[in-house]
Amino acid sequence: MRHALVFGIVLAVLLPFFWMAYAAFLPPEIVYSGDVLSGFGFTLENLRKLAPEGFWPRLFFSLWVSGAVALAQVLTALLAAYALWNGVRLWAVFLFTLAIPAELLLVPLFGVLHQLRLLDTPWALLLPFFASPFTVLLVYQAMRSLPYSLVEAARIDGAGEGRILFSVVAPLVFPNLVAAGVLAFAAHWNLVLFPRVAVGERYWTLQVWIADLARRYPADWGLLSAAALLSTLPLFLLYLLFERRIVETFEGSVKG
Amino acid sequence: MRGTRLRRLEHGLFALPALGFLGVFFFYPFLEVVRFSTWRWSGLRAPEPVGLKNYAELVSDPLFWQSAKATFLFALWVLPSFLLLSILIAFLIEGQPYERFVKGALFLPGLVTVGAASTAWYTLLAPEYGALAAFLPIPAWDQEPFWAMAMVVAFTLWRYLGYGVLVVSAHLKAIPSELVEAARVDGARPFEVTRYVVLPLLRPAVLFLLVVGSVLALQSYVAVFLLTRGGPYGATRVLGYFVYELGFENFRLGYAAAATAVLLVLTLLVALAQGKLLEER
Repeated sequence: MRHALVFGIVLAVLLPFFWMAYAAFLPPEIVYSGDVLSGFGFTLENLRKLAPEGFWPRLFFSLWVSGAVALAQVLTALLAAYALWNGVRLWAVFLFTLAIPAELLLVPLFGVLHQLRLLDTPWALLLPFFASPFTVLLVYQAMRSLPYSLVEAARIDGAGEGRILFSVVAPLVFPNLVAAGVLAFAAHWNLVLFPRVAVGERYWTLQVWIADLARRYPADWGLLSAAALLSTLPLFLLYLLFERRIVETFEGSVKG
Repeated sequence: MRGTRLRRLEHGLFALPALGFLGVFFFYPFLEVVRFSTWRWSGLRAPEPVGLKNYAELVSDPLFWQSAKATFLFALWVLPSFLLLSILIAFLIEGQPYERFVKGALFLPGLVTVGAASTAWYTLLAPEYGALAAFLPIPAWDQEPFWAMAMVVAFTLWRYLGYGVLVVSAHLKAIPSELVEAARVDGARPFEVTRYVVLPLLRPAVLFLLVVGSVLALQSYVAVFLLTRGGPYGATRVLGYFVYELGFENFRLGYAAAATAVLLVLTLLVALAQGKLLEER
């Protein structure tokens, strides 16, 4: 009974993923027949149709902006977390930013980007995300679980603060940095509304492009599922690689 | 050896990059919103100051009140179900061989692309044409306000349930087993142990989720944007989406800024109230 319930919940949660993977290879005849269970079929046509719509350049563009954001976010978080760990009293500042969801600031952020003349440039997709209080929190929690005597010992050996951070502390929290980086990448990869308003079609990320594709071809589920599947794949692979780390880093952050 | 004071300064410098970016792209917009809210501004032509007119209009805007109601309704649906399901699942999987697997699986939807996820949801669950509609009675959530809200709530729960389960589970594991043993030795039945020993100890987890959940309820409008676009008849137009629509579909950025300011005050009040609640624990 208990097992059946858990199994049912997991199945319901994963169903959209199974469906996405299945529909991506479904021939259009079956999709348009109105009854998707009327027959089975396998085709790569949906994937092929993505190329003329301009899928691949979008994918690579998104990979590089989200990758750059993840790297920068982890770096600024590493530095800030080290400052916090050493007793710089800024915790309240980060907590405050954590309490205000960034989505709420969409309108004023648009105005500020307008003032800075960053609208419709790739910088609009990069700079606002170079620091995140959530990433700071994750890295800080990881650092707090290390013994502070490590730092003191390195200081007695004459190492400077930058060296202590990068060659003593950073390697020890590296797994958490990776997990925080994956989460930062995923959060940026998933943005839909912000890129849509901050940049023009030229710099649309993959997510905005897919939302637009769904508007243009609302009935072509094969095509939409293929796009959805391929855009999910990078995150899915990252998650599979680091699943244990990510879940543990998260658990560490909620215990404290 | 350098003085402690100098080192203090150096540590302060380490925090600078993060503070700098947050300053320009978080705190500055946070303050600017007040100035923007006194403008009439389409984003294309130069803004024109109009004083407090935007606020006056907001108070008498029926759409604003409808959105406030929709947000309240959304929170009323999401919060209890989020808490109950998180606790239920955490209990069900506790100590089972598949615990890790289930946690990993439930966490996945929160990470994958919203756009892709909503595409899958839409093609699966579209009334009449959806893949599931062939053998399940799918309510017409594109026409009935009640079911549209149910759909947005389900999508939100689907995305964040894994997080809730992790939080409850982490607290569940922190409960010392001696406590549970002692209650058992004293003759408490399993149900009584859960009700009078375990659940009260989960209070911090519940409060924490309540905080996270209410912020979520106030901000969550991506699901609305992707699934229902606020419809039908504005039933799912939550405040966040109301602001988005004003700013970027009606191009009334000044008015949208005024609505943002109101929403920010609301969020801060909720956060403050909850901060008090968390301190009391």
